[in-house]
Amino acid sequence: MTTKIMTATPISVAAVKAISDRYNEPAWLRQARLAAWETFEAIPWPTYKEETWRRTRLTGFKLENYALPEAEPEVYASREALPEHLREELAKIDSAGALVLQDGRAIYRELDEALARWGVIFTDLRSALTDHEELVRVHLGAQVSVDENKFAALHYALWLNGAFLFIPRNIAIEKPFQVLILQGERVANFHHTLLVGEENSEAVIVEDFMGSKEGMSDSVAEVFAQQAARLHYLRLQNLDETAWNFATQRISTARDALYRHLQASWGSKLSKVWIDLELEEPGGHGELLGLYFTQDRQHIDHHTNQNHRVPHCTSDLLFKGALDDHSRSVYQGLIRVWPGAQKTDAYQKNDNLILSDHARADSIPGLEIEADDVRCTHGATSAKVPEEYVFYLMARGLSRKTAVRMIVQGFFEEVLNRVPVPGVRAKLEAEIAHRVGIE
Amino acid sequence: MTAVLEIKDLHAAVEGKEILKGVNLTIRQGEVHALMGPNGSGKSTLGYVIAGHPHYEVTQGDILFNGESILDLEPDERAKLGIFLAFQYPVAIPGVSFANFLRAAVSSVRGYRDRVREEMERTGQFKEVGSELIPMREFRKELLETMDRFNVDRSFARRYLNDGFSGGEKKRGEVLQMAMLKPKIAILDESDSGLDIDALRVVADGINKLVADGMGALLITHYQRILNYVKPDKVSVFYDGRVVLTGGPEVAHMLEEKGYGWVEEHLDELEAKEIVNS
Repeated sequence: MTTKIMTATPISVAAVKAISDRYNEPAWLRQARLAAWETFEAIPWPTYKEETWRRTRLTGFKLENYALPEAEPEVYASREALPEHLREELAKIDSAGALVLQDGRAIYRELDEALARWGVIFTDLRSALTDHEELVRVHLGAQVSVDENKFAALHYALWLNGAFLFIPRNIAIEKPFQVLILQGERVANFHHTLLVGEENSEAVIVEDFMGSKEGMSDSVAEVFAQQAARLHYLRLQNLDETAWNFATQRISTARDALYRHLQASWGSKLSKVWIDLELEEPGGHGELLGLYFTQDRQHIDHHTNQNHRVPHCTSDLLFKGALDDHSRSVYQGLIRVWPGAQKTDAYQKNDNLILSDHARADSIPGLEIEADDVRCTHGATSAKVPEEYVFYLMARGLSRKTAVRMIVQGFFEEVLNRVPVPGVRAKLEAEIAHRVGIE
Repeated sequence: MTAVLEIKDLHAAVEGKEILKGVNLTIRQGEVHALMGPNGSGKSTLGYVIAGHPHYEVTQGDILFNGESILDLEPDERAKLGIFLAFQYPVAIPGVSFANFLRAAVSSVRGYRDRVREEMERTGQFKEVGSELIPMREFRKELLETMDRFNVDRSFARRYLNDGFSGGEKKRGEVLQMAMLKPKIAILDESDSGLDIDALRVVADGINKLVADGMGALLITHYQRILNYVKPDKVSVFYDGRVVLTGGPEVAHMLEEKGYGWVEEHLDELEAKEIVNS
């Protein structure tokens, strides 16, 4: 039996309406929510008969176990006023702006004043909707459509808040923007991320998902890299190991745009993550980096698409994962080269390091090529920690544990090397060390 | 005290197949002991068994370090006693930098790790991560000095451990590790194989310097070539899993002349003599 939190709304069409009422939302959004709910109801729950869900089962997942939070959490006016653990978390990154969301409420916002004067918008999606309604309306749902999958439909019906970053033309910001997404127990959270980089702009954003004990997260991210924009998006999923996690992400790149993505998955009981890169105009370049380390009975499923629609684009994907205990990972990836997308250069690689006899990694890379002048490479590996490596390091005086830790850290180095934010790299290294176990 | 590694009637098998068939050998600190033998005679196995490779099972006999058996010790514990194996084929470990690895190894072998652990147990207080390592500045200084002294390019420090190294670079890397870890007894498994003359000089020069500093070396080799650069105090001939002849440097010259075929032909009389000698 699950005891529901007193101040919570069960998930239903009534909840959808209640959100619109509570925030006095514009008619277009109210209609979009109701349409999304209908779509959600129309799409059947996934079964293993669908290729996407063949290796990832939703056994034990019951939507009625989760509720929308109603309590208004405390809002903080300054960094100093924040609880210590949040202050510490924010201090790990030297940022240009910070945003903290608790159960869909912005509890702290911070943006360099100079950036605001230049027209940079970095705020929670709810505030953006009030202050920049047109910008939100144009972009919301433009990448990830409502009927993409059942969880996207549910998301569009029920999202409360999210992060909104808009970088105007010719503005380049070196320091990252930082978002902490916190979730309480048994809560359903629907975080929506909108990143818009106008022509020749540059920005880095780091989103960190935390908490959600016995809860669920159903997020959507939409990224618009306009002409010659350079965007980096680092997404750290560090949810509680009892949480269900669903995430649908799509990125579009315009002419000569450069996009770099990192998906680091540590947490959750089960994760199903879609990442679609749409190279829509010539000269675009996209990099998708992934890093995961599963333990116990965790199950993490990544589904990627590198969609080359036009000529002269490059994409580069590297997903590396370590699996311990009885955990399991699934990687399904597709490089799709459309007819006429000549001079495509696409790469896709998934490497898995198996740390236990009971762990399992399934890797299904794929190519679908309909142009003839392209270079596409893909590959997948799955291996245990080589005993010869361990012996070599032990023969130099390292204990078995230290030897294994070094080998695992070395395995991830190829990805860590490419993480552009030192604070994030340090966090990832600490997570890896924590999982391998420091003596 | 001069460290001594004694191998007594050592028998070892892999997957039930006996490879070492009663090895007797003594290696002392400050001495160079060459172990020569044909391919497949079990020389490398001897190196692995001394270092504690889990793949091999010791079925009889003993290995003593300063009179104490080391057979029950893990490879890292043997390394901490001062035993070093320079690998014939060092493995490449991607993503692990030479410097980071060597800092951890030096810290472990010199007792930094154990001291921090003991202190934590005694005081019940945690020490920060990194306190179990030799201080960075001190390590860096020593590493650079050692690289210069042993003619190893400074770029090694930043490179991944043996990853993309040429054969010669790997062997130099083994010498560098040995120079930093300062073992009492080193087993050098074909450290001369696959080297051009320049690389061979660097490797030999490194061994000589360390022996002059007091290291004992068991120089496992197929050819007499390296012995032109590293003068052995003793030479043993290894054949079919055991030592069949031990003598001074003249044994190497005799082998060069007569070849391993001669050993095979005279096996019975050699063994009878060796048993008497040992």
